[in-house]
Amino acid sequence: MFAYEKRLQFPVKIKNTNPDTARLIMSQYGGPDGELSASMRYLSQRYTMPVKKVGGLLTDIGTEELNHMEIICAMVYQLTRDLSEADVKKAGFDAYYIDHTKGIWPQAAAGIPFTSLEFQSKGDAITDLFENLAAEQKARTVYDNLLRVIDDPDVIAPLKFLRAREIVHFQRFGEALEMTKETLDHKNFYCCNPEFDKKKTSLL
Amino acid sequence: MDTTHICTCREQIAMATVPMQEWCEPYDLTTALEEGTIFPCLNFTFYKAPEGKCKCKSCSSMADKSQKTREEKMSRLAVVSFAINDLTLYLDTHPDCPNGLALFRELLDERLTLLSEFAGEFYPLTQISMVTGNYDSNQYGWPEGPMPWEGACI
Repeated sequence: MFAYEKRLQFPVKIKNTNPDTARLIMSQYGGPDGELSASMRYLSQRYTMPVKKVGGLLTDIGTEELNHMEIICAMVYQLTRDLSEADVKKAGFDAYYIDHTKGIWPQAAAGIPFTSLEFQSKGDAITDLFENLAAEQKARTVYDNLLRVIDDPDVIAPLKFLRAREIVHFQRFGEALEMTKETLDHKNFYCCNPEFDKKKTSLL
Repeated sequence: MDTTHICTCREQIAMATVPMQEWCEPYDLTTALEEGTIFPCLNFTFYKAPEGKCKCKSCSSMADKSQKTREEKMSRLAVVSFAINDLTLYLDTHPDCPNGLALFRELLDERLTLLSEFAGEFYPLTQISMVTGNYDSNQYGWPEGPMPWEGACI
């Protein structure tokens, strides 16, 4: 189960309103490589993971991604909470405003709504771990892209933090892949699906 | 063919290999939170991201003494809790590392104390700290304090 703790994993204190920046950052809430997608990916995959420790890691990283989702939403909220009518017209936030006012809703920077099609839970440990390794790299690229175009130091500090976490998670998923490989036939990693063909592996 | 063979070979065609991380001496915990990892060996920075400390709004400098204490305690809680988060993932894949385990236990202990003190002196951040921190038993307490996304001086 999950229990709430009333603080952010990384503090967010943004002074200046900036709807343009909010619209870009929102992609890390509801975009294809966002934190919502990340947490749902790991928290969905964990149930059928054949190596118990890897299921544990997916739970812990999936939980951390929920914290990151909250950081991103806090940033979007603080960047738009003092929005004026004039801001709405001039800043390219108008289309979002029409549907959501200042409400926080998961969508990509280009307006595409969040969908579970953005992540996969394939029921094959090797496949899912490669999905996760790729997901961490995709999210890192988005943070690189955001850091290239954003100047506000109040926004940069949490973005830098979140970018660093992607690399740490990549390393941990790599280690999870090694732990999974150790339970498989090292001469043919693809002789069976360890989540389905259980009798073929050393896991029983 | 023996399908239960434990793989000792690290490299195989048609399969990726990621080396296991070895323990490296952690940053001081405040730096760790700013950098996004406690491990210097895992910190690969992006050239566009400015180095050094964020010049974010500091609440404690303009505040009264009680607010300063509160702010400092919250900051310490953030760095200790983050170090625990990062160590948790490390221990998930290195459960037998004595360095990691020792630091983990030490920080869990400090975190418990910080949460209790914060609840006792200010307001509860977790429900269990209402009891461990002897929060005023006549008050519900859970709605107290700003919500985390407000970015308030706490």
